[in-house]
Amino acid sequence: MSSVTSSIQVRVLFFGRLKEVAGGAEEFVELTPGSRIEELFATFVARRPELARYRSSLVASRNQEFAAWSTPLQPGDEIAFLPPVSGG
Amino acid sequence: MSIPPSDDLILLVRNVIDTDALIRHVRTGADGAIVTFDGCVRNQSHGRRTLYLDYEAYESMALAKMREIAAEVHAKFPIDRVAVAHRLGRLEIGETSVFIAVSAPHRAAAFDACRYAIDTLKRSVPIWKKEYFEDGAVWADGELPPVPQDTQIRKRAS
Repeated sequence: MSSVTSSIQVRVLFFGRLKEVAGGAEEFVELTPGSRIEELFATFVARRPELARYRSSLVASRNQEFAAWSTPLQPGDEIAFLPPVSGG
Repeated sequence: MSIPPSDDLILLVRNVIDTDALIRHVRTGADGAIVTFDGCVRNQSHGRRTLYLDYEAYESMALAKMREIAAEVHAKFPIDRVAVAHRLGRLEIGETSVFIAVSAPHRAAAFDACRYAIDTLKRSVPIWKKEYFEDGAVWADGELPPVPQDTQIRKRAS
């Protein structure tokens, strides 16, 4: 085993109304290894409780692919939280 | 003979969509039909007068999803070429927000593919529009894209 990593860093993006509720479009977040997208979102809810009510009406993506809430995070991942899409 | 998807044209733009250029792009001597879809900004939403719209995108993912749609369209329908352009930023009433052109040897496939492309785009490409009214602005109601199932946390019937 090489060096012990105590945290991983991921890049987090918010879009649409979520960007307004989260208070920003982009942030780098440190998490414990093995964290899942669900736990990443929970760290934002802890800071901005009003985000909780969007949980059931948003989807997450990992590295530009839609991803389940249970997806484990890897160092350097780009995670986005996406409200219902309305292009066209 | 099928044309490789690299002959498709997939764009996000910040100014007026050159619809004629998209049509020219898909037109080849092998085609008997070109079907286009022109999505444009309507002057009202649920009875409220719209002043203008503002579109934003998760650009890298939106382009990837638009390319996926083009690839799906080639797999599903006997068509020749696809061009898709979506505009971002502020759009005025009547302007084109999205334009799709599909060419095919025969018209049925071109119609079907064009319909499939716009329906799928509206459901799965990460683009959002904010509607501006005289008394405020709202993010438009949208569709939640299909996501791989959570295996442990919950199950959802599809």
